[in-house]
Amino acid sequence: MTSTDTQADDLQQQIVRIARRERGRLVASLVARLGGAELALAEDVAQDALLAAMSTWTYQGMPDNPAAWLARVAHNRAIDRLRRSNRESPYAEESDTRSSDDVIGFSSEIEDPELKLIFLCCHARLRELDQLVLTLKVVSGFTVREIAGVLLDSETAIGQRLARAKRKLREVPEDVDAPPTRFDIQARLDTALKTIYLMFSVGYSPRSGDSVVRRDIAEEALRLSVCLAEQPGAGTPNAQALAALLNLQASRLGAREGDDGSLIVLSKQDRNRWDRERIAQGLGYLKAAQQADALSRYHLEAGIAAAHATAASWNDCDWNAISRCYELLLDLVYSPVIVVNACVAQAMRGEPDLALETLDLLAGEKSLQRYAPYFVARAEVLRMLGREGDAAEAFSAALDCGGSKPVLKHLEQRLAACV
Amino acid sequence: MATYALLLNHAPDRYDGLTEDDFMAVIKDYIAWVEDMSAKGIYKGGHKLSTVPGKIMDSTGGDIDVHDAPFAEMTEVLGGLMLIEAASLDEATDIARTCPHLVHNTRLEIREVDDVD
Repeated sequence: MTSTDTQADDLQQQIVRIARRERGRLVASLVARLGGAELALAEDVAQDALLAAMSTWTYQGMPDNPAAWLARVAHNRAIDRLRRSNRESPYAEESDTRSSDDVIGFSSEIEDPELKLIFLCCHARLRELDQLVLTLKVVSGFTVREIAGVLLDSETAIGQRLARAKRKLREVPEDVDAPPTRFDIQARLDTALKTIYLMFSVGYSPRSGDSVVRRDIAEEALRLSVCLAEQPGAGTPNAQALAALLNLQASRLGAREGDDGSLIVLSKQDRNRWDRERIAQGLGYLKAAQQADALSRYHLEAGIAAAHATAASWNDCDWNAISRCYELLLDLVYSPVIVVNACVAQAMRGEPDLALETLDLLAGEKSLQRYAPYFVARAEVLRMLGREGDAAEAFSAALDCGGSKPVLKHLEQRLAACV
Repeated sequence: MATYALLLNHAPDRYDGLTEDDFMAVIKDYIAWVEDMSAKGIYKGGHKLSTVPGKIMDSTGGDIDVHDAPFAEMTEVLGGLMLIEAASLDEATDIARTCPHLVHNTRLEIREVDDVD
């Protein structure tokens, strides 16, 4: 690929990102005025206005400040369209924002509408995956095709999830439209945090799908977590802990991929490539999160991530501290996946034999049958115990689980290293 | 150096009923090309024409006859025009060859802007 091609690709990604972000903002501000029951209309208007605005760029190029320009044009188009439609809407009665200082008014209310929109999309009446899909689409502006790509689902299936979610929201307009009180915020915060956590996992996990989109999703989850943590009323210790966790994890985004796109596992990463600024942010949020009595899985996972982030090398890590965090985490939320991670920490702490015992007990666990990290953990622990043949067998089992090309390549190398 | 106008034609219903994804895919290709050509000093400006059908004005019969342009019956309509700078018509043709219009649509016309020094 020539440098011009790379530049063109970068530019295309930049255009897509601007469109996404502006769509999210516009939908948030429209929903703030029209009410949550009009979510579909708000989305429709926002999309229409944005694409119309952007299509003039196909002849004129991007303006100096594309975000402000898009926001202004899309907002005015949205007002025009609502006026032309026969629907009675509180929006249409607003004075024309073109005469008032619209751009400033528009952005000054962003924080609030966006928060409301996150809570709307994470409504308790919706199924977990529907909440995620709706948030990706409505708040973050990802397209159905992009979402289908990362969730490894068909565009039709994603479209159905969106339609079902919106239908459910229409069924409870009075509930949806009520301005969230502080109490509502607390109640809905847990769901919102969970959705953002899930969003980050989708973006962070090296599975198949477009890697650029996945990274954008991880970055977007990070942005939303920080947005929540910074909101008065929503910035609870749990929200701060999530912002800490995602900052710490995201600090490694650039170091996880080799120049050839191969996956570099944590133990092999060049720690100089970790984003120090994000680590500092993460540690800052973690400190703030620890001010209160609250203890969530985000606190503990952030604690584990912090131990890695502050260690000089994989072996220098405070494995005792990490093990303790895992024990507490398992008390809070038991999951075989967490047990697998805890076993790695236990082995690194110097107890590979005990770790292997636990791992063997998990062998029949249904949820781990196709879970590659389980077999990888087993293989690495077996290697520590000098059982190369058994380790090779476990690496083969991991390969059978499938995964993205970089992951498979990494596993093949590990397998070849067992003699 | 001379200025050349690229007249971009497309089918009247080309963009009707496209999904958001498909429309976006087209848009970003054009914008990226225009940005790239601008950065190289080749692109000099352009205008997209509205997709709202215009009027045809005709004075053949003496009086000026105004009627709706029969968009739907036409095989293609003018979508807009772009101005580029090139040393010759051949060079302009080579530049236009890279324009995504010929990927997403099928026809364009190049004309030199008449500029008598």
